[in-house]
Amino acid sequence: MNATLIASECEARTQPRVVVAGLASCFGCQLQITNAEAHLLEVLGQIDLRYWQLVSSEPLPDEYDVAVIEGAVTTDEAVRTVRELRAKAKAVIAIGACAVTGGVPGMAAAGFDDRVAGTFAGAVPSACGTMRAPKPVSDYIDVDFTVRCCPIDSYDFIRVLQSALYGSNHIEADRTMCGDCKRRENECFYKQGTLCLGLVTRAACGARCVNLGRPCNGCAGLSPDANLEAARATCTAAGVDPNRFDEALQMFNQAALIAAADAARKEAE
Amino acid sequence: MLYRVIDAQELPALVRAFMESYEVVAPVKRGSGYVFRAVDDPADIALSYTMTDSSVKKYLLPPDEPLMRFDARTNLVEDFHEEVTPRVLFGLHACDINAINRLDLVFRDGAYPDPYYCARREATLVVGISCMPGDHCFCQLWGSDEVQFGYDLFFQDIGGKYLVSISSVTAANILESACNPREATDEDRIEFRHATRRRQAAFNPDIPRIEDVSMLMDAFHKDPFWDELGGRCLSCTACSAVCPTCYCFDITDELDPDGAHGVRKRVWDSCTNPSFATVAGGHNFRPTGRERVRHRMYHKLNGFMATHDRMLCVGCGRCVDACKANINPIEVLKFFEKKGLEDVE
Ligand code: SF4
Ligand code: SF4
Ligand code: SF4
Ligand code: SF4
Ligand code: SF4
Repeated sequence: MNATLIASECEARTQPRVVVAGLASCFGCQLQITNAEAHLLEVLGQIDLRYWQLVSSEPLPDEYDVAVIEGAVTTDEAVRTVRELRAKAKAVIAIGACAVTGGVPGMAAAGFDDRVAGTFAGAVPSACGTMRAPKPVSDYIDVDFTVRCCPIDSYDFIRVLQSALYGSNHIEADRTMCGDCKRRENECFYKQGTLCLGLVTRAACGARCVNLGRPCNGCAGLSPDANLEAARATCTAAGVDPNRFDEALQMFNQAALIAAADAARKEAE
Repeated sequence: MLYRVIDAQELPALVRAFMESYEVVAPVKRGSGYVFRAVDDPADIALSYTMTDSSVKKYLLPPDEPLMRFDARTNLVEDFHEEVTPRVLFGLHACDINAINRLDLVFRDGAYPDPYYCARREATLVVGISCMPGDHCFCQLWGSDEVQFGYDLFFQDIGGKYLVSISSVTAANILESACNPREATDEDRIEFRHATRRRQAAFNPDIPRIEDVSMLMDAFHKDPFWDELGGRCLSCTACSAVCPTCYCFDITDELDPDGAHGVRKRVWDSCTNPSFATVAGGHNFRPTGRERVRHRMYHKLNGFMATHDRMLCVGCGRCVDACKANINPIEVLKFFEKKGLEDVE
């Protein structure tokens, strides 16, 4: 193939332009994308990847169709970034617990301002940016698609990206985890009096941790139909202290729990 | 129906004979319970199990089943051949065979037989075994503690021996070749009656026996009981996953990573799944646990009766064990019992 031919082929190419941006995160989810290994090139072949934070120190380009966002929003600068991504992209995909629920950074949300004041005594280093309590991306902008869990599953990412590119009849699960756990015929942790957050966590992973012999930590986030009261009753019946259940939920769901508590307080007023 | 008697010690030889041409799935001990698994040694089979955590439904209706492959660029269906494993489901209790008979009604005997289900069912032999009820069993309330058809062989334990009901030629031939089946004597038949009576007397007396359950379901359709029962639902779908008769499914398309080809899959669904009744436009006509749990109990104890003249519950007790919110048909029976007592007062 000669050079002119390649150039004209490129011109004819109308692949969707994709950017991958990172906020407060450990980069684990961006790394998970590369873990699709053998299929990575197949996926890259379907898009025009304009920017990938993991492998680039350039600023974001000006035009793109799909914005993939990893990480929680923890600064004013990040708020501006997500608003810009939303304004320019036709579709926004939030990936990983940090972006979807606030995740691990979200654990710092409660009493954030006081803690910042206590730690830095009014002199916050400029490298920190203008800090604010960590929140999920969806607290600031509309998110069209989510890839859940900490970290994301490589193939789940590909599936969701393809949904954004081509459409899909897949509905995001709102049921909680135990049914998926039963499909895999795992023995329930509560039979041994062991805490497991599958009771209230979205069935987004096929009960992956339980399949591997570990209780669910809730990284897929609370189901919109999570029945916390009934879950506490389940704990009590199984001899698990419901306070431990509440505490364990803080790891990945603190932002949602604070928001729910705020809403309840407002309603009471 | 043909009846024969074999010695209990002959059973492993029969299992090994099945293994020559079939995958044998049987109950095995796992942790504090039992599961159905493919076995390769008759010694692994735990025949005196009370209840397995999940049923054998997955062998006829897999939780995640490819239906066809397609080319996403041309929108054409590609050749797709499903592998069907010839299989013996060994050691099923009467309730579970009755459950398969209900799945047959839905997927095989209706106006539009399901080719995937039928192919599997066709390639499956069912071998039943008598049982003694556990604390959560209430099959006798719906008459599913006995089974009249739907199996190839059924073994009734008559103390060191089995009275075998034989209802297929294939299974009869294998039994004949592996064991020394003999005519049943009057003594065997007497022992069979004793065993049946022992079983009937062993059901948990705390589970109320209620007449006209289907009618009562209609009578109490608006009772606040459903708020209370459904209000504690965790929306997890564990009930339907372990239930041998729940058959609802969803269909989704999944692209391969290359985006050029894909697979259409059937996956288990459940009416206790919050989005189960969400329709185009986003309206959910069963928005809360109250409606969803009530619907599940209705389909089990009323709706299926209306079309198929039998309950969709066989009283196996699995959901009693699997539902961590204590939502199950026994709770409904207890509610009816309470209502009955209130009426008397
Ligand atoms: S979700 Fe987990 S793996 Fe992904 S970026 Fe956040 S902390 Fe890292
Ligand atoms: S609580 Fe955990 S272990 Fe038990 S069924 Fe649910 S997901 Fe599985
Ligand atoms: S509803 Fe419960 S008891 Fe009835 S058949 Fe299903 S799992 Fe068994
Ligand atoms: S009870 Fe619900 S999930 Fe089960 S068969 Fe009926 S509608 Fe389907
Ligand atoms: S009835 Fe029980 S098992 Fe079924 S979805 Fe509700 S909580 Fe889960």
